[in-house]
Formats: sequence, C-alpha cells, structure tokens
Amino acid sequence: MSLVVEGARKEFVARRGARVLALDGVDLEAKPGELLVVVGPSGSGKSTLLRAVAGLESLDAGRVLIDDRDVTGVPAGRRDVALVFQEAALFPHLRVAANIGIGERARGTRRREVETRVREVARALDLEPLLGRMPDELSGGERQRVALARAMVRSPRVCLLDEPLASVDTELRLRMRAEIRAVQRSFGVPMVHVTHDQAEAMALGDRVAVMAAGRVLQCDTPAEVYARPATAAVARSFGPLPMNLLPAADGVILGVRPERLRVCREGRGRPGSVVAVEPSGEECLVRVLPDGAEQDLLARVPWADAPHPGERVVLAWRPEDEHRFDAATGARR
Amino acid sequence: MRRLPLAAPYLLGSALLVLAPLGLAAALAFTDYFGFRAPEPTGTDNLARLAGDQVFWAAVGTSALVAAVAVPLRLFLAVGAALLLARRRGARTALGRVAAYLPSVVPDAAWALLWLWILNPLYGPLPALLGVLGLPDPGFLTTPWGARLGLVLVMAFQVGEAFVVALAARLAIPSRLHEAVAVEGGSPWFAMTRVTLPLMAPVVLVLAVRDVVVVVQNAFVPALLVTDGGPVDATLTAPLVIYRRAFEYGELGYASTLSVALLVLTGIAAAFPLWLAARLAGRQRVA
Repeated sequence: MSLVVEGARKEFVARRGARVLALDGVDLEAKPGELLVVVGPSGSGKSTLLRAVAGLESLDAGRVLIDDRDVTGVPAGRRDVALVFQEAALFPHLRVAANIGIGERARGTRRREVETRVREVARALDLEPLLGRMPDELSGGERQRVALARAMVRSPRVCLLDEPLASVDTELRLRMRAEIRAVQRSFGVPMVHVTHDQAEAMALGDRVAVMAAGRVLQCDTPAEVYARPATAAVARSFGPLPMNLLPAADGVILGVRPERLRVCREGRGRPGSVVAVEPSGEECLVRVLPDGAEQDLLARVPWADAPHPGERVVLAWRPEDEHRFDAATGARR
Repeated sequence: MRRLPLAAPYLLGSALLVLAPLGLAAALAFTDYFGFRAPEPTGTDNLARLAGDQVFWAAVGTSALVAAVAVPLRLFLAVGAALLLARRRGARTALGRVAAYLPSVVPDAAWALLWLWILNPLYGPLPALLGVLGLPDPGFLTTPWGARLGLVLVMAFQVGEAFVVALAARLAIPSRLHEAVAVEGGSPWFAMTRVTLPLMAPVVLVLAVRDVVVVVQNAFVPALLVTDGGPVDATLTAPLVIYRRAFEYGELGYASTLSVALLVLTGIAAAFPLWLAARLAGRQRVA
C-alpha cells in the first residue's frame, strides 16, 4: 500500500482573474506503512495537495498513483482513501456509531456487518462507551478520535489527515499525536498528515515534506531535514526556531541554528550588542545585533548565562554547526 | 430586560395590530353583533350553533384537504428548487433563483386573475395544452374536483419565501460534510437523503408550520376570485365561509366565533411539526 504523486500542478483563478499556483510540480511518495507529514505555512499548497490525492480537487497536470494504480481521473469515492478533516466533519444528526459506519452504509454494506466492523474499530480506539452519543456531546479530542475511527473502519489504502489537531488544545494535542502514531502503527496504513506545526511534523513523521509556494522544498526524515536543510528557506521554516542567516563573501549565506549559537562575554567571534532578552522556560532567547549588520541574530542560552540588554557580547559557533547556502538560489552548498 | 427598549416598537405594533384585534374577536365570539348596535352577550349560544354548522365543518374539511395536498407540494417545490439552485454560481443559477422567487412578488389578486385565465375551459392555455397532449381535462373551473385541483395549482408556485429560507438552510450545511460523503463513496442520492435533507429537516418543518397557516389563509383569495367557492361549494374554504358570514350576512359575532375556531384548529394542525422541529433542532446542534 503506497501513494505516489508525480508532477502535480494546480492553478486557481482567484477574484478579479488573478491566478494562484497552488501546486507547482509536486512529486511525493508515501511508502507502505509510512507516516509522511507535509508541513508548510498556510497557502503553501499542502491542503490542495491532500484534496487532490483524495479526489476532491482535480489536477491541471500530473498523476496520482495509489498502489501503482493511476487514480488521477477516478472520482473520490472510488479511490479507497480515507480523509480526516480539520474540524472532524462529524454528521451532527447521527450518533457516534452511525458516524463511524456511514461510509460502509454508503458503499452498501449490510447493516449487521457494519455494526460488527464499527464495534471492532471502536474497541481499538477506546470509543465503545461513546457509540450511543451524539456529536455535540463529545469533547474536541473525542470528536477527532471518532473521525479517525471513521477513516479506519474501511481499511483504506491511504489515510489522509488535514490538520486534524489544529483546533485542539495543547495538552490534548500532545496526547493525540501519540494516538495517531499508534493507530497508524496498528493498522499499518500509509498516512499523509498535513500540518503547519513544525513540532508536530518533527514528532510525528517517519519523513517530512517541507512545502512552500506550491513546491516541495525537501522530503526526508525529520532528523535529516533538521541537520541538513536543503535550502535556506527550509532552514528558516523547519525546526523549533528559524535558523540565523548571515551574508558572507563569494555569494554564500552562512547559517547557524539559534540552539548552536554561543553568546560569550569575550574571546574570538563576531562582536555585537544585545538587543533583547526573552524568557523561554528553562532558557532564554537573546537577540544580538552584530556590529555593522542590519539583521539581528537569535541565540538560545541557559538562564544563568543570560546577558543584559545593551551588553557588549561576542557571537561564536563551531565550524561543524555552520550551514552554507547559495545566496542567489538558496540551495545548500 | 436590557433589550426591551429595542423590542418596544415591535411589541407595541403586535399589541395594537394583532393581540388587541384577537382579544376583541375572542370577546365578540360570545355575542350577537351586526355592527349597528352594541354587541349583545349570548353566552355559549354561538358555540352550540358552531357545533351544528355543517357548512362551516364542510369548509374546514375542504381547507384541510387543500392544505394536505398543497403544503407538501409547495414544500417539495421550494426545497427542490433550493437544492437545485444551491451550489453553482453564475447567470443561470441567478436566473433560476429569480424565477423561483418571482411568483411571490406578484400580488395575490393579480396572481389569482392570471390563473383564472390559465385555467379557463374555453381559451385557457392549460386545458388547451392538456388537449394537445391527449390528456383528459379535469375541468379546472367546472367540476368539483377539478376546481379543488385548480385551487391547489394556483397556490403551488407562490413559494418564494419558503424557497429563500430553504436555500439558506441548504447553504448553512458545511461543504466538508458533503466532501466526507464523497470520499466515502456515497452517491448523490445517499448524500441528499442521509445528510442534506435530515440536516434541513428542522427548517423544513418550521416552513411546514408556516405553510399550513399560509395555505389555509391564502386559499381565500383564489377561492373568492377564481372559483368563488364553487362549483357546488367544492372550493368553499373556511376563510371564505367566515368572510361571507361577516360581510355578506353581517353576522360579525358569529363570524368571530368561526375565526377563533379556525385559529384553534390551525394551531392544533401546526403544533405537531413545530414540536418535531424543536426536537430535531435540539439533536443537531453543530458543536
């Protein structure tokens, strides 16, 4: 069970005839049993990509293959994919059991058989006590779990999740992450999970695809994308904090992660003055403006070493923590 | 209570224009009153007369029959038009929406006279069309059942307000619910019968309540102008009987008795769908 997207292009005509390129030649592959996270800011095309895979959006060019079958022209209902929407999209007039089973009913499965399937999936997801409830009697997390159960009940070839945790509070989001992970493992179905949350992408994905402006900038394991970002844009957008970028000689941009930038009182390095100090839990974020530079740099340092605003400091980093990008193309060198 | 000042004009209006006349009518219902002298209290005489008034009860039966056919037909047309004209934007949809609403803009009397021509057995286009198609002419203005059918037809297409409300109810359904059905492989029929219509049901039921009232009341204009209660009292609806009692026989007291009786009967007919609508709406809150 796998998913392949080849050269997907999609253009929308916005108001007043302006054209928006939502997908600009996207190639993507979700391998069997893999959890692929597509991460990008809003407007990067990640939702359009997901809807195109589901069959809710047509492509101007390119192909979608599910298990080596070309489904580009196949209507949504015959692609055998499941989709979990951002707000769960439960049917407000149906009880939880009917919500989970509605797809099976739509495909004409017998009532008795549907009940058995619903019960199985509900047991796997700890939803059995909720089967008789109406959607408005559920909490946000329960609603998403019901939506997940509805996706799993048909044993789909691919399961798509469109920002399922965006409208859930922080604590629950952490627990739901683990739950999605567990469901994906136990059902062994490839999942494509779309999110704008970097932390979620890093925590959840076997691999992550970083998208911006309709393109996939990099697709690799979270560790690799963090350690070796393919472009300056990926370096800025992926990770807990955006990477510091400094113009250097020969058309090169130097990059250093704020986690690896050291703020010293003296020694060798770039001199500068502290602009701001923000507390951030155990640590603090320090903004330093190097002498003669226009852009300040961000550093994460322990509270004990925190300088004062206005203090003169020296910025230093180890050579192996340095990333180099092409100033013209942004590509890694 | 803070909202009271804003509601004041409305409360004043309904008190003066609805509640006060209603109270007066209820009081007059227990009197003899011909408009020349002060009303004469007669106790329950009018109620006894009402119980034995075969003309009125036959008219109530006619009203109920017309409503039983016209209300479902009107709702079917209003909801059907709303479903057909819900999604696509563009000139054709806009034209369709205007066409669906337009009959409600025409004044009732003008509409009734238009149908007097359409249904005319000698030169009306509808009997002529039926003749061309080789279908039997039910005698829209000349036979009892033909006239009742004619009355239903006159009222069937004036559903502009119900159409607008149904359209709003359809557009209030989040599109992701229909997308969820599409991804699950549900047919358009499945989506309509299991998702769209159940979610519109509370609104449609409220429309049904309103339509019972509208049809029973509005049957007056076509019954007066198109069929004049005939032939052989086949289209003598309850409001027409009340009108004749009040303004042809001048029995304002007894006509009030009939009005109050019709109000109570309409209230009973409307109560069930109203109760069902409240129940359904309570179950379907979108969290």
